[in-house]
Amino acid sequence: MRLIRAELLKLRTTSTWWIFALVFLALWALTLAVNWFATSVGLDAGSSIEVDPATGDFVLHESDIAANLYTNGQFFGLLVVMLLAAIVVTSEYFQQTATTAFLQTPRRELVVGAKLVAAVLVGLAFWLVSTLLNLVLGALILAAYDSGPFFGSGAVWEAILLNALAYALWAVFGVGAGVLIRSQIGATVTLSVVYVLGYLGSNTFFLLIGDSFGEWFPKLQVLIPPLASQLLVSGASLPGSPPRWLGAVILVLYAVLAGAVGTVITRKRDIT
Amino acid sequence: MTDVPGEIVVSHLTKQYGQLRAVDDLSFTVRPGRVTGFLGPNGAGKTTTLRMMLGLVRPTSGTATFSGTPYVELTEPIRHVGAVLEASSAHKGRTGRNHLRVMATAAGLPDSAADLALDRVGLTPAANRKFKGYSLGMKQRLGIAAAMLGDPGVLILDEPANGLDPEGIRWMRDLLKALAAQGRTVLVSSHLLAEMQLLADDVVIIAAGQLIRQGPVGEVLASLSGTLQVRVRTPQPAELLAALEKEQAEVAELPDGALTVTGLEVAHVGHVAFAAGVELHELTGERADLEQVFLQLTAGRAGIR
Repeated sequence: MRLIRAELLKLRTTSTWWIFALVFLALWALTLAVNWFATSVGLDAGSSIEVDPATGDFVLHESDIAANLYTNGQFFGLLVVMLLAAIVVTSEYFQQTATTAFLQTPRRELVVGAKLVAAVLVGLAFWLVSTLLNLVLGALILAAYDSGPFFGSGAVWEAILLNALAYALWAVFGVGAGVLIRSQIGATVTLSVVYVLGYLGSNTFFLLIGDSFGEWFPKLQVLIPPLASQLLVSGASLPGSPPRWLGAVILVLYAVLAGAVGTVITRKRDIT
Repeated sequence: MTDVPGEIVVSHLTKQYGQLRAVDDLSFTVRPGRVTGFLGPNGAGKTTTLRMMLGLVRPTSGTATFSGTPYVELTEPIRHVGAVLEASSAHKGRTGRNHLRVMATAAGLPDSAADLALDRVGLTPAANRKFKGYSLGMKQRLGIAAAMLGDPGVLILDEPANGLDPEGIRWMRDLLKALAAQGRTVLVSSHLLAEMQLLADDVVIIAAGQLIRQGPVGEVLASLSGTLQVRVRTPQPAELLAALEKEQAEVAELPDGALTVTGLEVAHVGHVAFAAGVELHELTGERADLEQVFLQLTAGRAGIR
């Protein structure tokens, strides 16, 4: 408990967190504008629009549009939270404070554990702030198009809660990656590239490769962390139609793997 | 073996880095209530030894205990052992006070402990300034404040005088002596020998990762009493030389005209001069100082291996 409070204090007492928060808010506003536009298109067309089950990128139920608004900012939010979580670890080496931390707590796995919990709490804080903003502004946008806020819809709340889970899991993933890649620059660049390429590049990659290695190959898409995350949150249609919970399982596995391997290495390593 | 409270026991500590044996079967004890100087040329393995003692570096073999317990098994180690390892170990963007508050929080101490520690090292005026704005001397003081936070009975400092101005060095010396006088164990590594001679009660001298000599400063110096020299100045050097040579003394002439006599006590040299009717203008016994002893003991053991 004390260690978790100390970790949160560490975060609060430097400027890193609010720089990240400002960046996040700016990106959140940007995506809100985009989603506003998407909403206007979707709702103007009305519910008469046909859903294309083959591509399935937009399922234009009105409640889905609402859910999309209420989880607005997720793409960048997850990225920012993951990077912040990684920096929670790498800054100890970058700023040479690891010695102090491990002198105070020689059982290093406890330090890593405290960082995991602190990062998850920070991730949830980002989620909470963005969700509150989304609920207010999303409802206003919907009202502007004469649509209800869908606060009674189960799908909406499910999306919001799964969004929270995604924030927490990406925070864990970030800490694990930070432990593995001690270099601050190395960790942030690697994570950003994996994240963005994972989202934007892997779709293209699998589209190009197709099933030339056999039918099973495209199904591996779900193993790409950002795609697993997409599956978890939005139920994105992937080849083989894996269930949504599989996305969560895969993310948890990545997070646990990165965290566990990192912790074992941290325990053995000489701190110089 | 009984465990003496506050005693540090280093026993057969060894660290192998590839081909290099940085620390080689090193054993020594550090007693409470005294300042112990940990001396060695650069690269002798001082820092590696300290980091092994504190559980930061994993020894190849051997142990180090504080009051009988290894560091990593201490509960709330900062309440038992305070360590200052490098001056630059705080986040640059965090204030000195917040740096200590983080440590206090993790140790379950109130924020007031941080303020007290700042006050003890005279950093209160800079408490809310960021670490990157600190001078080297202020960083050292913050390091000591951090080490003192848990009011530990044992203090370990790695080259604390580095980067301090003369006033800072004097302050550090007085502080460490006062802490030892309160019954604490103080282990200070350094390569500044003149400073150590003023500060330390005991010394542990290592070179090339091995123990060279351990004991009270006086004893270590006395163990090389053969090097006692007497410095004489006289207007009749030829007569004195002749008289001293009859006593089997070795005499060397210095460029400034003085003579140094080796192999005789001061009183003996004075008596020889008196008996020979030689006028003396200066007669001084020169004990080897820590620096001479150190250089003699570590000669031929290269610092760079």
